[in-house]
Amino acid sequence: MSGTARRAATARRAARARTAARRVASAALTLLVVSALTYAVFYLLPADPAQLSCGKPCTPERLQQAREFMALDRSVPRQYLDFLSGLVSGRSFGTGPAAVRCPAPCLGYSFRLDRPVVDLMADRLPVTVSIALGAAVLWLLLGVGAGVAAAVRPRTLLDRGVMTLAVAGVSTPTYLLGLLGILLFGFTVHVLPVSGYVPLTEDPAAWAQHLVLPWCVLAAVFAAVYARLTRGQLLEVLQEDHIRAARARGLRERRVVGIHGLRNVLLPVVSVLGPDLGGLLGGAVITEHVFSLPGLGSLLLDAVGSVDLPLVVGITLLSAFLIIVANAVVDLCYGLLDPRVSG
Amino acid sequence: MKRHPLRATAAALTGLVLAACGTSSSGGAPASSSTAAARGGSLFVLTTSSSVTLDPAKSQNLAITTLGLIYRRLTTWDIAPGRPPTVVPDLATDTGTASDGGRTWTYHLKDGLQYADGTPITAADVRYGVERSFAAELSGGLSYHKTLLAGGTAYKGPYTGQDLPAIETPDARTIVFHLATAYGDWPWIVSMPAFAPVPRAKDTSPTSYATHPAASGPYQVDSYHQGSALVLTRNPHWDARTDPVRTGGPDKITFQLGQDRSVVAQRLIADSGDDRSAFGASFVPPAQLAQVSRDAGAKQRLVTSDPGALAYLAINTRRPALADVRVRQAIEYGVDKHAYQVASGGELAGGLATTLITPGIPGRVAYDLYPEEPSGDVAKARQLLAAAGTPALSLSLLVDSESNSAAQAQAIQQALQRVGITVTIRQLDDEAWTAAATGAAGDYDLTLSSWQPDFPSANGNLQPLFATSEIGGGGYNLARYSRPEVDALIARATGETDHAAAQALWAQADRRILQDAPVVPLIYTRNSFLHGSKVADFFVAGFPAYPDYLRVSLRR
Repeated sequence: MSGTARRAATARRAARARTAARRVASAALTLLVVSALTYAVFYLLPADPAQLSCGKPCTPERLQQAREFMALDRSVPRQYLDFLSGLVSGRSFGTGPAAVRCPAPCLGYSFRLDRPVVDLMADRLPVTVSIALGAAVLWLLLGVGAGVAAAVRPRTLLDRGVMTLAVAGVSTPTYLLGLLGILLFGFTVHVLPVSGYVPLTEDPAAWAQHLVLPWCVLAAVFAAVYARLTRGQLLEVLQEDHIRAARARGLRERRVVGIHGLRNVLLPVVSVLGPDLGGLLGGAVITEHVFSLPGLGSLLLDAVGSVDLPLVVGITLLSAFLIIVANAVVDLCYGLLDPRVSG
Repeated sequence: MKRHPLRATAAALTGLVLAACGTSSSGGAPASSSTAAARGGSLFVLTTSSSVTLDPAKSQNLAITTLGLIYRRLTTWDIAPGRPPTVVPDLATDTGTASDGGRTWTYHLKDGLQYADGTPITAADVRYGVERSFAAELSGGLSYHKTLLAGGTAYKGPYTGQDLPAIETPDARTIVFHLATAYGDWPWIVSMPAFAPVPRAKDTSPTSYATHPAASGPYQVDSYHQGSALVLTRNPHWDARTDPVRTGGPDKITFQLGQDRSVVAQRLIADSGDDRSAFGASFVPPAQLAQVSRDAGAKQRLVTSDPGALAYLAINTRRPALADVRVRQAIEYGVDKHAYQVASGGELAGGLATTLITPGIPGRVAYDLYPEEPSGDVAKARQLLAAAGTPALSLSLLVDSESNSAAQAQAIQQALQRVGITVTIRQLDDEAWTAAATGAAGDYDLTLSSWQPDFPSANGNLQPLFATSEIGGGGYNLARYSRPEVDALIARATGETDHAAAQALWAQADRRILQDAPVVPLIYTRNSFLHGSKVADFFVAGFPAYPDYLRVSLRR
């Protein structure tokens, strides 16, 4: 390699490193803002976490004792700083042999559930990942497939049928769809379990069996969006000059659509998939609730209902983190799908 | 005591078209009991709760539900439909011997009591269990004893190296409690979860003790996965001959956690597979209640409680416009209880209320101080308002949107409109309502609430709602009612150790308070539960209006 080429390669590496550093700094800043906003929102609420943990009846002395133990007797900015320092060095609540320890990275401690927030989320994450990834595969296959089928036969019965189904899918509330699925497949046909979760490592078949309905419900909702997106994009692409040129060169229609058309459609699909998947990994709240799946979504629902502030902040931050990561992965995929982006 | 959810779980009862469901079983009778019941089998409890607080110090469980299966206490509750609940000895040989005018209570443990690992249960374990409930690390449970025990207010638990001198254990089977003041209901207090024995040696870390607690009841914790399931299996060292209330029927009990209420009802209506051996721990939602009424099989398995908790309209006595007792009495006559009952779902939602002490509570005397047609007495109300010099009034009605339907609030609004009182409804979510209604400011004229005591004593009906000490600061004296005469009466009744005498005092207080009209009793609410076809001995009494888990068994 010549000296000029080496210098160019070094410059590219440095540029990539600077970009990566900017992204990490931006992600950290976003998480900081999200955590501060979540704290602020919850401190605007009239509920007092210490009051909720005080017992019945709660005397002023016991309430003060609970406040001191939960470190809620400090100013709100001080509490937020405690939270930030806990991320690095962990935290302790109380003193003496009974002190409660939350090791670093401490995203908070749930006094209601007697466990560090990180541990609680780690327990629930595999369930949510199972739901989200399985559903994503299904909705991509269904959504993109249906969108392509509709786009290559525009204004036909198939196209109208697909788009009608898509509108129905987008419009149907997840909760209702879940209940209908349970009624049909659980209570009428008796082919699928209606609730619960079996870990993949314990019994892969039972794992899949328990997740089929949640996957289908989520896929029905999301696939509708992807079908409409794919159809619209593909119809536009199929009118472009390079497609006409490909057809003029005598390429088969399947190849024209599959290679030249779909490749261009995948860019917007991937850009939507990133945030969708990231958001879902932060908890498929309604689906998890309907099917009694112990994922992050049901944990969040439970935490909000019981004003478990540390847990709410922890899950919110994890969701934000996952969305940031998903967007970073989307950016990477852009480069792979379209070399002009990375160039 | 608990603010009985019309506000939380029982919110499901609001808005029901219950008149259509009037054929559902029970009404408190043991409709589902069966002589074919046997020991053995796996019982499933389907619950919307996603977690179970297994540490007795942190628990607010009723004596007859989940923790009652794992832990015995000094006393417990003997519940049956159609008769008032009674307190009975559990670990102790009797319900307690009072001395020093009701300030000292002595208990002796029964012979041969053992934990699941075969080690003996001692009085020191009961003492340690109570002491650890004072620690900040373990706050959150029922805490009546913390103010009642002498020196309890300042005590911070055994982890500080200090014992609580108010509890003595002169020998391995005797435990003595010294109270700050006389308290006649102490036998009910020692039925609470904090009075379960905890061996000090097993409590190496207070926050993790509950993962492997020392079981004294018929079951022990086999596994617990928060959000998924709690599995209980038999305690081999539980001796049924020492236990007056638990039957220890099923071999295994699985609590399926975090269930959706509607899905639970559908599963129990469908009654297939394991669900035949299951019951729902939450009230049946309105839509499914209507569905049950059309399903003969499911209707047989629906159990509705006797009337229990009191739903009431609190009148803020500290507001200038409501300071005159004649204005409050006008509201008593003006409210249309029947309309409220219909808005709540009809007969199955509850019966019309006239007293503060609720049905099923020992010593309740039925009376009606403001006799009227169920739809109110408009003329009488107008007359009282005119006499008070306030023929037209504008009042605010604070409503918890999670507990009370718009229809319930409107029933109050429309009824009072008839007598010249304009009511403006202010709906708040649960947390905001709690802060507004139980905080110091008291910025409201009227509010809707409901109440069921934590233990079956009239004390639990009256003291939390009407003692001056319970105004603001998280207390539930929502009428902000304060009368030294009533406070003195409550104190006398509280200190009375003769049950009959205490009950007479509580009945007197009930009537005296309503003379001042600080609240309008609306209905005594009822709860409905579903169970599978293999479940036996399933009943729901008026107090508490929840299934008695301790006696449920499975048919052969």
